[in-house]
Amino acid sequence: MTDIQIQLDRVADDAHLLDVRDLFIEFHTRDGIAKVINGVSYHLDAGEALAVLGESGSGKSVTAQAIMGILDIPPGKIVSGQICYNGRDLLSLPEKERRQVRGKEIAMVFQDALSALNPVFPVGWQISETLRHREGVARADALRRAVELMELVRIPAAKQRLRDYPHEFSGGMRQRVMIAMSLALSPKILIADEPTTALDVTVQAQVMDLLAELRRELHMAMILITHDLGVVADVADRIAVMYAGRIVEHADVHDLYAVQGHPYTKGLIDSIPRLDHKGQELATIQGLPPSLMDIPRGCPFHPRCPYRKDPICSTQVPTDQRLASGTRTSRCHFAKEVLDGTAA
Amino acid sequence: MFRYIVRRLLQMALAFFGTTLLVYAMMFAAQGDPIQALAGEKPVSASQRAVLTERYHLDKTGIDGFLYRYWDYVSNLMRGDFGTTLAGRSISDVLQAAWPFTIKLALMAISFVIVFGITAGVIAGIRRGSLFDTTTLLLTLVVIGIPVFVLGYIGQYLLTNKWRLFKPTANDGSLYSLLLPALVLGMLALATALRLTRTSVAENLRSDYVRTAKSKGLPQRRVIGVHVLRNSLIPVVTYLGITIGDLMSGAIVTERIFNVPGIGFNVAKGIQTEDGPLVVGIISLLVIVYLTSNLIVDVLYAVLDPRIRYE
Ligand SMILES: Nc1ncnc2c1ncn2[C@@H]1O[C@H](COP(=O)(O)OP(=O)(O)O)[C@@H](O)[C@H]1O
Ligand SMILES: [Mg+2]
Repeated sequence: MTDIQIQLDRVADDAHLLDVRDLFIEFHTRDGIAKVINGVSYHLDAGEALAVLGESGSGKSVTAQAIMGILDIPPGKIVSGQICYNGRDLLSLPEKERRQVRGKEIAMVFQDALSALNPVFPVGWQISETLRHREGVARADALRRAVELMELVRIPAAKQRLRDYPHEFSGGMRQRVMIAMSLALSPKILIADEPTTALDVTVQAQVMDLLAELRRELHMAMILITHDLGVVADVADRIAVMYAGRIVEHADVHDLYAVQGHPYTKGLIDSIPRLDHKGQELATIQGLPPSLMDIPRGCPFHPRCPYRKDPICSTQVPTDQRLASGTRTSRCHFAKEVLDGTAA
Repeated sequence: MFRYIVRRLLQMALAFFGTTLLVYAMMFAAQGDPIQALAGEKPVSASQRAVLTERYHLDKTGIDGFLYRYWDYVSNLMRGDFGTTLAGRSISDVLQAAWPFTIKLALMAISFVIVFGITAGVIAGIRRGSLFDTTTLLLTLVVIGIPVFVLGYIGQYLLTNKWRLFKPTANDGSLYSLLLPALVLGMLALATALRLTRTSVAENLRSDYVRTAKSKGLPQRRVIGVHVLRNSLIPVVTYLGITIGDLMSGAIVTERIFNVPGIGFNVAKGIQTEDGPLVVGIISLLVIVYLTSNLIVDVLYAVLDPRIRYE
């Protein structure tokens, strides 16, 4: 490779804040090898919000854990791929430098705050921990900062609640504590892994709104992981739809809501209950997600696909098809037909 | 919490009376003629018998008399008066001479448990399935499976008679001489604490909050040394508290084997010589130690785990 090529590559790297490229991850378990991530690529620019959508088990969390570097290895194993942050491949960094990225550059909010927070330490202690131990901030100052963070995520009477323990908070407030903690070091990217799934429906919207506001106020980029298409429209700029460890469709949110370029996405959208379709039977996707130990040949979605055409769908793995507008892609042999509504 | 402690103290008082009554009854029911027992082989004259009968309220018979004498004994006890042994020594003096041995022994044993048991347990928990883990698993199973006195005699035989590393008896009270007895005394608790710590650490390492701590960019040593350890030690500390009581009763066997003139040694001697007052006195004291350490454990548990609330 010439120097110019290397420089060109560097420029290409620098184009995105975060760039996940062709990631392959396996889990080696007693029952066999589960191919959990099979060539995931997605990227994120500064200040942007990407929603990652997919049924449970499709590999959304595992991808996020790989980005954070908190994957359980073993049983997990990163087979190949790159995760570039600011042009540097995180996967090739030594653990010491990798650790510096966590929390400070990329932070994460987990699904169930009750188990994700440490039960035996007060929330103020937990929120201020990284300030004290990574930034060397004095205890009193760190606690003062914790109060500010709790106010930022709109926890009422923040100061009085500093010494309370996680179990003393309601579900919604606890998730806010989790969010405050993730913001302590002002990360550039926040990964929120199903941040509202464990909450009551009424509280879900409040927490989602808070995340959207925080992103705007703090100019953070965000990866919002969810299995619920309903919640992402107001928050995300783009959507990546995952199926069996692959991104099967990728598009701007509003484009994707309008028309879908992959039968799986179409199935997901059609299964959202809608007021104007009251009385109609809700469409659902036939069948079950494939076993990751034994992913079907050809297109992994073909056994469930209403548009499948044999033999192509059951023998050939579809590659990314670029669709009309800019970055829109779909991994379907008949992407264009599905998008145009001419597929049968 | 305050109300809880008051309630517990009341329960303790009940338990105290219950156990002392039981021990008192068992000890004196076994005796034939207490005055003759007191005198040993010597003949007792009628006037002496009258005086003693008066002093010990032996004129009252039946259940009434028994309760009367028990109450007399307990109220003396609560004034700190343990009475005298059959041989006429003040039991308080006996206890004062014996306590230092037993306390030293127990402290050393519990130090072994903490230093070796918990450390090894943490390492085994972190390195599950490693050679270290498998080896300690095997050793602890052996220790848990073998009764204390067998362990004691084997240890005594090997280390003192065969290899002559220690003196066979430990009645000079030096720390070195108590090393072997303390090890034997603490062995079972050590093995149990090790297994408990290992399980607890292994379980906590799998918790979600560990993943959170890692995602905060904390170094591994802080994730394990602070987050995991603080949670893992909750059941272990509780176990240690309960163990203090067990060490006291374990001391009866260990002190006998190694001739350590401590509390346990005196109980054993008292039982052999049917010295009622001595046995009841010591047991009463052990009951108090046991009940108090249990209360401390429960309170400590609530302090360590904020999710526990006592009403
Ligand atoms: N620690 C692990 N050990 C074994 N398998 C795992 C582990 N973590 C995740 N997996 C498997 O990886 C697959 C994807 O999981 P995940 O990324 O959590 O799905 P989701 O899209 O619901 O977040 C699942 O089939 C899960 O069983
Ligand atoms: Mg998940």
